[in-house]
Amino acid sequence: MTLPEPVETTSSPLYMNYTYVAGTGRSVFLRGLNERRLLARHCPGCSLVYAPAPEFCSRCLRPVGPPFELPGTGEVSTFCVVNFPFPGQVYEPPYVVAHIMLDGAHNRLMHLVREVAPEEVTIGLRVEPVWVDDDELDTSTTSIRYFRPIGRPTRDVAAVPYAQTPIGPADA
Amino acid sequence: MVSFAQSPCVPADREHDMAEIVLPVIREALDACGLTRDDIDFFASGSHDFYEGRTFSYIESLDAVGAWPPISESHVEMDAAWAFAEAWAWLQLGEGQTAMVYGIGRSSLAADLDQILPAQLDPYLLAPLRPHRDALAGLQARALIDAGLLTERQLAEIVSRYKDVAVDKLMDAPHVAAPLRAHDIAPPGDAAAVIVLAAGDTARRLTAHPAWVRGLDHRMETHYPGVRDLTCSPSTRRAGERAAELAGFATADVQVAELHTEYSYQEPLLVAELGLKNAEVNPSGGPLAGWPATATGLIRIGEAARRIMDGTTGRALAHATNGPALQHNLVCLLAAQPRDPGQPRDPGQPRDAAQPPEAAQPREPEQPREPEQPRDAGQPREPGQPCDAAQPRDAAQPRDTAQPPEAAQARDAAPARDAAPARDAGEAR
Repeated sequence: MTLPEPVETTSSPLYMNYTYVAGTGRSVFLRGLNERRLLARHCPGCSLVYAPAPEFCSRCLRPVGPPFELPGTGEVSTFCVVNFPFPGQVYEPPYVVAHIMLDGAHNRLMHLVREVAPEEVTIGLRVEPVWVDDDELDTSTTSIRYFRPIGRPTRDVAAVPYAQTPIGPADA
Repeated sequence: MVSFAQSPCVPADREHDMAEIVLPVIREALDACGLTRDDIDFFASGSHDFYEGRTFSYIESLDAVGAWPPISESHVEMDAAWAFAEAWAWLQLGEGQTAMVYGIGRSSLAADLDQILPAQLDPYLLAPLRPHRDALAGLQARALIDAGLLTERQLAEIVSRYKDVAVDKLMDAPHVAAPLRAHDIAPPGDAAAVIVLAAGDTARRLTAHPAWVRGLDHRMETHYPGVRDLTCSPSTRRAGERAAELAGFATADVQVAELHTEYSYQEPLLVAELGLKNAEVNPSGGPLAGWPATATGLIRIGEAARRIMDGTTGRALAHATNGPALQHNLVCLLAAQPRDPGQPRDPGQPRDAAQPPEAAQPREPEQPREPEQPRDAGQPREPGQPCDAAQPRDAAQPRDTAQPPEAAQARDAAPARDAAPARDAGEAR
């Protein structure tokens, strides 16, 4: 006995357009990127420095302080090498995606690390941002083209364990 | 319930992200009952990714409750009234003493709700048709008018009560999805609402006038609207009956009813199904004053409870809905007094009511259900009469002459089905 052939496909494309609301806190950081500035904010309650910063501390719920500029340099706290192609990909694999701890901040920023062979990237690698040209600046993380190395790792990797949660221990 | 707060429903909040919308409301609700977020044992929230335009969108709102150190929380991808139901059940189970429920609804982020709302429909037969977002409501309103249960003028009278505009002027407005006009449709907006729940003695300690959740139930109808009799809402009716059973008082006995009416025509239908008699309906203004998507139903519970907490009402009802044309309905009964401890314990009663544990009697198993008796289409129902009231219908009774001739021919061609036409069997129209 054979079952009737099921209908295998039917087309019903859904298009949905949205307005995304960045919010007051996130907007401060995004406006800074439009001016090649990496802005951080300090929580008066728990002394954490956020970059990017929300409008209030997600740990102690207090409003964070006024924005101030970070030097922009930082270090790779973890990374992975993207080896596979996928639709919409901007860079040809392999390339490096990293969590970057900006100097002076307590949370990490995700971005690309380029101008270095993937096999030479290490945790602890010192990096700096490469900004886009003036006419490409935007209130977007794409205002930073990528981060690039500014030397060799300066710290012993084992001394900065990633597991140290940036927003503090759970029993604090 | 010991506290309720909400933000104003604005047509489009372009300044605040999810956490920024809800945080001030959380602060207000906590301050009102003297708690801090560290005192809350459980958090439950409701919102929907299709309104937000991204997956796991609600995670952003957790920044507003302080999710570090890790908290006990849950989320429903629907109206936050169902998060309320979960939090209430959680307290009834004795899992903790306090719970916070919050709802965030942003109807304004979708550039065009007609792109979004078809996604809630069956993807094979309905969604490809891309019905206008008010089309299914229009079908239901038309069916009610055709059944003699409503008139367009009555719709205008309902709206006139909320908007202080003359009925004749409302009748002059053009139709949007006939018989519905723009003023018959709840206006989209953005808002957040927060409710704090506490069990028994904790609630008594936190406030002099808690609103006791005496009963809550929710029932759902089939996904395909074409299978339903749109002139009634048996899910609302059954949820109301079960909530009343838990509460120890009837839905007819409430003084205030906050109904989740996203359309004017739904008000008389819900009033009839719930058997409301003298209740003031939607004293808050109801959703016709503002429809913040998935916060709308939770606000109904909050507004009903507010009338009890401020001492103006003894018993109140809140209704919430999800899905097209009142598909899924929740009824919550609230009172200024907890259930009498002398009565056998029932899940509607606060857990720590003064009674020895042995008094806890298992609830009687539910009686076998009467099969649904579809209403006789040939007999117009009186306004206010529930549609699934027992109306024995002889299956062999000939259909009235209003039946389309082609249907009659089909029956002639298939005599075996004639004795039980699909509609009479409650299956299909």
